Amino acid sequence: MLIRIWREFEAMFLEVNNLSVDLGQFHLIDVNLGLEKEDYMVIIGPTGSGKSVLLETIAGFYRPQSGRIFLEGKDITHLTPEKRGISIIYQDYVLFPHMNVFENIAYGLKKRIEDKEVIESSVVDAAKRLKIDHLLDRNPETLSGGEKQRTAIARSLIVEPNLLLMDEPFSALDVNTHTYLTDLLKKAVSDYQTTCIHVSHNFNDVWSLAEQVAVMRDGEILQQGVVADVFSKPRHDFVADFVGVRNIFQGEVVGGSKGITDVEIDKNLILHSSDTYNTDFKEVIVVIRPENIIFSNQPFVSSIRNQLKGIVTEVVLIGPTVWVEVDVHGTSFKGIITPSSLDMLGIKKGNEIYLSFKSVNVKLIDND
Amino acid sequence: MNYKIDKMRSKLELSFISIAFIFTCILFIIIGSIFLIPSFEGFINALFSDEIQFALRLTLSTSIIAASCVMLVAIPTAYSLARYEFPLKSVVKSIIDLPMAFPEIVLGIAILMMFGNQFLGNVLQNLGIDIVFTTAGVIVAQFFVAFPYSVRILYSTFNYVNPRYEFVSRSLGYGEFETLKNITLPLARGGIFASSVVTIARCIGTFGAVLLVGGGTYLKTETLSIAIYYNLSLGNIDNAITAAIILVVISFIAIFVLEKYAYKDMEGV
Repeated sequence: MLIRIWREFEAMFLEVNNLSVDLGQFHLIDVNLGLEKEDYMVIIGPTGSGKSVLLETIAGFYRPQSGRIFLEGKDITHLTPEKRGISIIYQDYVLFPHMNVFENIAYGLKKRIEDKEVIESSVVDAAKRLKIDHLLDRNPETLSGGEKQRTAIARSLIVEPNLLLMDEPFSALDVNTHTYLTDLLKKAVSDYQTTCIHVSHNFNDVWSLAEQVAVMRDGEILQQGVVADVFSKPRHDFVADFVGVRNIFQGEVVGGSKGITDVEIDKNLILHSSDTYNTDFKEVIVVIRPENIIFSNQPFVSSIRNQLKGIVTEVVLIGPTVWVEVDVHGTSFKGIITPSSLDMLGIKKGNEIYLSFKSVNVKLIDND
Repeated sequence: MNYKIDKMRSKLELSFISIAFIFTCILFIIIGSIFLIPSFEGFINALFSDEIQFALRLTLSTSIIAASCVMLVAIPTAYSLARYEFPLKSVVKSIIDLPMAFPEIVLGIAILMMFGNQFLGNVLQNLGIDIVFTTAGVIVAQFFVAFPYSVRILYSTFNYVNPRYEFVSRSLGYGEFETLKNITLPLARGGIFASSVVTIARCIGTFGAVLLVGGGTYLKTETLSIAIYYNLSLGNIDNAITAAIILVVISFIAIFVLEKYAYKDMEGV
């Protein structure tokens, strides 16, 4: 038994055991986390849940009251931050204002390498990967938010950290920049083979980046696991409520074209998703958030890809919202609407109703 | 019609602006008047007199030494107050602020009592260090007068530097001292500069504490502000006014440098 535990423990790349931190305003209680090498974990949770404190404790800026942190089997709990090889990226970029973009990116490398030519070629290489090689002479304050964050990402990745921590890295950016940066980051971390923990409150980051997800509240990790598991089997009421996903189906990719993937979730019930999958006949988990389902009494012509007809089986008033459950050929969909929409559409149990949702809101998660 | 009413200044606005103007004018006239009193010849004679020449050199040299010492102690003090939690921190902060509230001459007599008669004075004397009624005494007095002001400015400067800059530097492999040198001090340079200017201005201008601790001996520990007081009481108006003019000019330079460089530098950190 002991040997088995030891092996399991040895296998983990990052282990956080029973970590407790008290900073007055923020605290962590008995936090346990485990990550394999090259894993990408997204931690989600409401503001003030202690996500940033967790990252900064792993990085070594705060001393825990109790608990241990292991990186590659080595106890780093009492190691100073500079000896941990853990980089951190913040929402507000934290670029050094007295250095230009080149000097910012080169900063960590200068500590490790003397040779100026090697430094320069590494910086240019990193800058190219993040598409900021034309900005190297600029001062940080002249950059846009997206450019600043790309500089910060380059500065962190160039030292090839054991672990990259990101504290809401995209939340100050607009939607387009966010999407663009997500793709760049995904590619960059796989190029550098970096293990990542990414704190976010945006579920899109979970869908597009994460292999592992952890849900946090009030300084506690409520659930951690592979994305599909946490979303399909929330072990905690809060997790279920917070992730807010009530439409989760097992599915199989059956085809697709032009950026649309067709997924069969039941016999003859095919949904269209804009998430791309290359191989056919792939097992996936299909997730649709209830607020993305539009109800109507008549079918309508629009760009919306998914339109289904069903029978209302349940109407429940919860607080200021109404949950509507619809049966579509034996598959149950749950949607959420306002009481005034309920009145307007005259939705009643037993009525026929049409459900519409955009392909972009049909999320596919690997189920391998 | 409405447009006119909007453009009209309220009574409160008008009266407050008037007060600001009138009293700034009075202050300006007061400062300006010292430039009008001496004859040019008298001013030049006084300026090159042994007494004023000595006082000027003494004031500048002691002030530079004292201000340098203040900065060396104030930077770690202010940094620890801004960054670290430690027992009795609030007490330390209050004690440092205390000399700003009570009269400088009280600080002077306290320093005099401390070094003059008691145990510490004897110990220092045995080591060959004489504080009371010496140039060293002038420096010690200037040090304690200026120290609280310096810490105050540096404290808010370091508070202003986001600790995340330091976190990022540490995470990229730099130790505490390297981070302080590479990141914190460069980011705080505006505040450090402002603090240096204020410190040296305080050292140059201080009177009560320097008079009590240094003794104000003619051609030995007589600084510019002491020279004003002595010469005025002896009826030697030219020397007194000349010393005053030198002090005013130094203050103007200090304020000018502060406005032009320090505050501009502090923006954007």
